[in-house]
This record gives sequence, C-alpha cells and structure tokens, in this order.
Amino acid sequence: MANIKIALAGNPNSGKTTLFNDLTGSDQYVGNWPGVTVEKKDGILKGDKNVVVQDLPGIYSLSPYSLEEKVSRKFLVEENPDAILNIVDGTNIERNLYLSTQLAELGLPMVMAVNMMDVVKRNGDKIDFDKIAKALRCEVVGISALKGEGGIEAAKKAVEMARRDVSEKGPGKLPDVPHVFSGSVEHAIAHIEESIQGKVPARSIRWYAIKIFERDREIIKKLEIGVGEMKHIEEHIRDCEKELDDDSESIITNQRYEFIQGLMSKALTKSEIRKNKATLSDRIDRIVTNRILALPIFILSLCVMWWLAVADGGPGTILTDWANDGFLGDGWHLPFTTHEVDGKDYETASEEFAKAEATVKAWEAGEKKASVEDEETGEISEEWDIDEAAYNAAKEVEEPDPSQFGVWVPGIGALIGAGLEKMGVSETVASLVNDGAWGGVATVLGFVPVIFVVFLFLAFLEDCGYMARVAFIMDRLFRKFGLSGKSFIPMIVGKGCGVPAVMAARTIENERDHRMTVILATFIPCGAKTVIIAMFAALFFRDMWYVAPLMDVIGIAIIVMGGIALKKSKAFAGEAAPFVMELPAYHMPTITGIWRHTWIRLKGYILKAGLIIFPACVFLWFIMNFDFRFNLVGEEGIDQSMLATMGGWIAWLLAPLGFGTWQGAAASVSAEIAKEQATATLGLVAANMEGASTAAHVTNLFASFVPACVPEASKGAVAKLIAMSFMVFNLFIPPCMVAIAVTFREMGSKAWGWLAVGFQLFVGYTLALSIYQLGMLVMGCGFGVWTAIAILVDMFCLWAVFRPGKKVEA
Amino acid sequence: MNAASIVVLVVIGILFTLAVRRVLKKGAPCECGGSRKMCSGKGGCSCCDCCGD
Repeated sequence: MANIKIALAGNPNSGKTTLFNDLTGSDQYVGNWPGVTVEKKDGILKGDKNVVVQDLPGIYSLSPYSLEEKVSRKFLVEENPDAILNIVDGTNIERNLYLSTQLAELGLPMVMAVNMMDVVKRNGDKIDFDKIAKALRCEVVGISALKGEGGIEAAKKAVEMARRDVSEKGPGKLPDVPHVFSGSVEHAIAHIEESIQGKVPARSIRWYAIKIFERDREIIKKLEIGVGEMKHIEEHIRDCEKELDDDSESIITNQRYEFIQGLMSKALTKSEIRKNKATLSDRIDRIVTNRILALPIFILSLCVMWWLAVADGGPGTILTDWANDGFLGDGWHLPFTTHEVDGKDYETASEEFAKAEATVKAWEAGEKKASVEDEETGEISEEWDIDEAAYNAAKEVEEPDPSQFGVWVPGIGALIGAGLEKMGVSETVASLVNDGAWGGVATVLGFVPVIFVVFLFLAFLEDCGYMARVAFIMDRLFRKFGLSGKSFIPMIVGKGCGVPAVMAARTIENERDHRMTVILATFIPCGAKTVIIAMFAALFFRDMWYVAPLMDVIGIAIIVMGGIALKKSKAFAGEAAPFVMELPAYHMPTITGIWRHTWIRLKGYILKAGLIIFPACVFLWFIMNFDFRFNLVGEEGIDQSMLATMGGWIAWLLAPLGFGTWQGAAASVSAEIAKEQATATLGLVAANMEGASTAAHVTNLFASFVPACVPEASKGAVAKLIAMSFMVFNLFIPPCMVAIAVTFREMGSKAWGWLAVGFQLFVGYTLALSIYQLGMLVMGCGFGVWTAIAILVDMFCLWAVFRPGKKVEA
Repeated sequence: MNAASIVVLVVIGILFTLAVRRVLKKGAPCECGGSRKMCSGKGGCSCCDCCGD
C-alpha cells in the first residue's frame, strides 16, 4: 500500500508539536512561543508504518510573508499531502479558524482537531462540532494533546479520509469546499477559476483562484498567466474592489472574519459566568506583565532558579556534592541505614582522621601548626597548634571504615581506582584513566544535578506559559532601544543550546535584524555554559549565590547594549520589526511535560560527556603528559609537555585578563570544542596542584595565577577576581565550534561570519579585561598600561552605545 | 609495561575510537534534544543542521 502523508497544520502554539510527539512517539522540542518549529519534521504514526506525519511550522495564514508561512505553504501546495490534520486551539477557536478556512480551500481531505478541549470544558464553554464540520466541509473532533486524549483517533480519521479520497475521488475531482465570500467576490473567483483551469490541480483550483484575487505575486508568477489573461482577471478584481471600496486582500480577510463570526455565533456557546469576567490568566498578567513589576519579577525568577541550583545548602548543591563525592567519587551511605560507632557518625570520624593525618604530616615536616582544607573550596578551614603529645595521639587514630557506619555503596571513581590497583596497572596508565578519561568525564557529569535543576525550573516556566510572557516583557524593553522582541525568542531558546537559538533567528524576515539576532543570541549562557557557572559558583562564590543569576543578567545587558550599538551602525540601522505574539493561557504543567522538556536537554548533555568530553580529555591527557619528542614528562615535567608549550603560545594574549598561563589558555581554547570542556580541562591541568580533591586543585591553580606583587591579605580576593575574569571570558566569547559553524552559515557569508565571531570575541575579552584590570585598581594593586587600555575600551563601548544614531530609511 | 596496563590501554583506545567515529559520522550531539527518529532514521538530532544530517 502506498504511503499516506498527513500534514499537521495550525496556528503557532496550538499544540501541533505536542500532538506530533504523541502520534509518533518522538521527543521533538515543544515550546509555547512562536518559532519553535522552523523546519518541517516528519515521523511515523504509531501503529501504522505506512503513515508519515509531517509537523509543519505554526502559521496564521497561507500568505508567503514569514519563513514559517513559506515552509508550510510550500509543503501543503507543492508536496501534495494526502490529508491535513488541522490543529485548532479550542480556547481561541475564532482566531484559529482563519487559517482553517484557507486550508479547507486547498481541497484536501481535512480533519479539524479542536485541541485543549479539557480547558474549554473547564471554562464551561460549548463548541458545536457538527455546525463547524458542515460549514467547513471537514471532519471535526475534540482532543487534548497535552493529556494524550483523542489525538490518535483524529489521526486515524485523517488516514481513513485520505485512503477513501485516493480510492473514491482522486486528486482530479473537484472537491466540496466552503464558499465563504459575498456574491461579487464569488463571481470574480469563478472567472479566475475558469482562466486557470488545467494549470493547477482541480482539487485546489479555488485556493489558487483566491490567491490570484489577492494578487499573490508568487502564485501569479508560478502559473505564468499571460498579460492579456491577467488584464481580464484584473478587470474582475477591480470591479469587486470598486463595489466593496477596499483592496482585494482586505476584502478576502474581512469576509473571512465575517464568515467565521457568523459561524461562531451559532457554534460557540460561551459560559455565562465567564462572559464578562477577567480570566485567571488576565489577572495573573496584570501583575506579571505590569510595566513596573514585569522586569523585577523576571529577574526574581532567575534568582530563584539559580538559588535552587547553586546556593550553599540548596537542592542543586546538595545533589552536586552527592554526585561528586558519592556517586562519581568515593561512595555514599544508603539513606536510613547509617548509625554511630563509638558515639560518632561517619562524618565526625572522618574529620577526626583527617585532622590526625594532618597533625602527623605537619609534625613530621617539622612544623608547629597543622591545618585542614575545605574539600570543596580548597581554603584552610581549620588550623591548630601541635606538639609531640598531639602527634603521638594522632598516630593512634585509625581511618574509619565506612561500611561499619551503614550500608556503604562505593562510587564509580572508587570502583575504577580499586579495579586498577587490583589489576596492578602502571602509574601512567592509572593516571590516564583517573585523571584523563574518567577524571574529565566525572568533572562534567558532577554538575548534572545543577543543570538538571536549571532545566527543570526552565521547563516549568515554559510549560506554565510564563516564558512566552518574558518575550512580551522584553519586547517592551527592546522597543525602547529600537530593537524587536522577536529577537528575544531565539535568546529564550538559547538558554538550552546556542545552535537552535541561532537557527530560530531565521523567523526574523528583516535581514539586518536577523543577522543582529544571530550575533547576539549566544550571549545568553546556554546549558553547557551553566556547567562553567556552576563550577565557579561552587569553588569561588559559594557565599555569593547571586553571581550565577548575575551572569544571565550580564548576558541580557550585553544583548540590549550590543543591540543598541549595532543598530547605530550603518549595517544594522533601521526600524525594529513589528512583533505580534499570542500569549498562551497559564496552566498547571504536567509532570510528563516538564520531565520530557528537562530530559531532552539533559540527555544531549550526558551524551556529550561520553562522545566529546571523553575523547577530548584522553587527547589532552596525552599532550599534557608527553613532550614534542614523545617522551613521558609526568607531573614534574608538565611545563615541558606539548599542552604547556602550545598553551604558552597564546597565554600572553590572556595575561591582561589575569590568567595568562598555559593552563588558562588550554582551558579556554579547549572550551571551543564544547563549553563544559573548560571545567574538565581545568580539572586535568590542575591535577599536579596541592589538595585532596579536584575542587582543591582548581582553587589552588587560580591562587597560583595571583601576581607575586599582590599583598598576602588580598591574595584570596584577587584569586576570586581572576576566577570571575576567566568565567566571564569563557561565557561571553564565541560559543562552541558547532554553534560558530551554524553562525557562519546563517550569516550568509564568510565576511559576516567573521564579523559575528569578532564582535563576540571583542565583547568577551573586553568584559574580562575590565573586570580584572578595574578590579585590581579598586583593590589598590596598581595602575598599569592595561588598566588604561581597559578604561579606554570601556569608554569606546559607552560611546558606541550612547552616541546619537543616524536615521536610516528602513 | 605489564599486561594489565596494555589491556586498559586497549580498552581506552577502543572507547576513544568509537566516540570519535560516532562524532565524525553523525556529528556532535547538542542540548537541543531530539533523537534519530527526528531525522527519519538518518541519525543526528532535531536541529539536523548541527549534526550535518
């Protein structure tokens, strides 16, 4: 049997992709703002291998104005689907029917699936499907895509109609399509139909005729209508326009809406209670999108998200500590199985042993004081005086056996370490596994809980309908500076990954705004950059949780200020594109929906740890442990390694930013493979630093970057300053290689691509330079040439933002 | 170098080759989600362009 092709068409945000996932069992990304589906996607209908379901971008009409409209129209008109499954938002049925009337005119078998029927019923509204079916000459069914109700039945109905159409009628037959226009318009359309007969498929002749009546240039050009013939058609159109005193396109639009209004007056019964009452969504919006409160509420929601993810004692940190120390590290006690031994729990016994060990080590080194470091931050957490008696007592303390304190589950790191020891592998091979292969992957995977919390929170905000409001709020802010809120949609997508963000910018028709959005979209820290933020928040800013949301705020500030500066240049000047967006009603998200959103993003991240981070770390370990003559240099000779030598070639460029060492250079350059690689590389290159854990190694690495001239009392603060400079540099320079490649393609030429990358590099470098140089100045660490350069560059940036812009015709 | 070390090296080498081969063949995975099904079984993720699909 021939394959059946079902096209899923409807307004943006009507639930097409949710239904597509339900019908095909796919994990396609769903979002409740327009532009999520830019390209058509196909999948096989569950339970029927012969049926292909095609998810089309959301559209409001079949006009060729936006990219989504072009993609959907091309498919529907040129690729001849066997049936259309038209998704209609039941809570906004009147507006959605505008597209439905046009789809019906295509003459293809059509099933209208009225979505969100659960909400319609809850609101007390009633929709008479029979009346709509009769008026639009199609089948109408009620569904709830989110709850997975009725979708499959609607698809099966569409398949059945398609099969019946093929066997009974065929594409050559004239279809029974609705006539929605007044007498004079129908008269003109009939004449046009006569003129184009034989040039277009018989079933779609009415749709073509209406498009010609609207003077659709693409269709007129495609049908190669002769001058004489067109003159004749024009006469009919002009007669109509004269009679109705309007242009042809507006006549069609108005009469369509009149037809829909008439139909709705018969088919839709609104709840009497709700008729004159503001909905819950309206009431929430009065606060959430309020002119004064909107932005603070958005920033507050970012703060809550980051607090949950990285604040000391928050769920993200608790889970990260467990992942690093327990699951991926030494191991953990099963909950509810722990007990005390000799009146001490395992933690107290471990701390006592660590202190005893430090006492023995310090006394044997001839010191009079001993200290222990915080495992996470590497900072000295306790220091005490020691004497011979303390030394003798400490020697008696035995290492506690965790299995005596409860059911102990060894961590993966411990299992690998023990396995290698038991096998008796050489020290070098053990280092390759522990520091290179496993170490790098574990460093990245250790932050899965943080990004899990971030993605979970974002999924909740998206699914409940709040993120769509963010675009609306941002439009208000952006418009003040001559930018369009349309540019913010890709930036919301960019919180997950920069690649689809750059691609989502395609929905912007204006080429100047499109290019500008591509340049700016990746300044919002993506999921991979979240790992860098999480690492630095955990190691250097544990008591300053607000540093993490500050990175998002800096990203938005760069977008606004960068946008203003670019708009004032000749290449990007012009009026901001209008931004019309439908705000979905607020609703309580489903657990399945939130989980699907979170898992889609998390899965890609975990996959990357195995496919990108693992080989990259093995390669980096190799070039870090061998020199150019392939001699093993080991930890002692690490400065002669290939990695150190190559890092040294570019380290001087980073010296003004505070981390001009081969380690800083290696971490920053390797981050272009994938942004989270920066954290894995830092763990790797810091392996020879002092400390008991990777966290302590990295902290000590940054402490080693502090210039010798800095007074002892300021060294801790300067190390944090360098950490901040490093973090900002890696967050705001060009994104990973894949995103850069997509940027080049979307910019349309190499010159534009280099301009985008150059701009991003300038922004990242300038920010890091300013933070480090001005921070050093404030801390009283002197004024140098680079301080002056930083001030001059900052002044230039301020001038670029605040200079008066030239008015250029749009 | 003892036999155990060689075995571990071979395992790491195989895993390294498989990962690199997968990335070269199907492109880098990204956080945009998606699965093989998205690209009609051709491999890659939902934003096929980034995987060269």
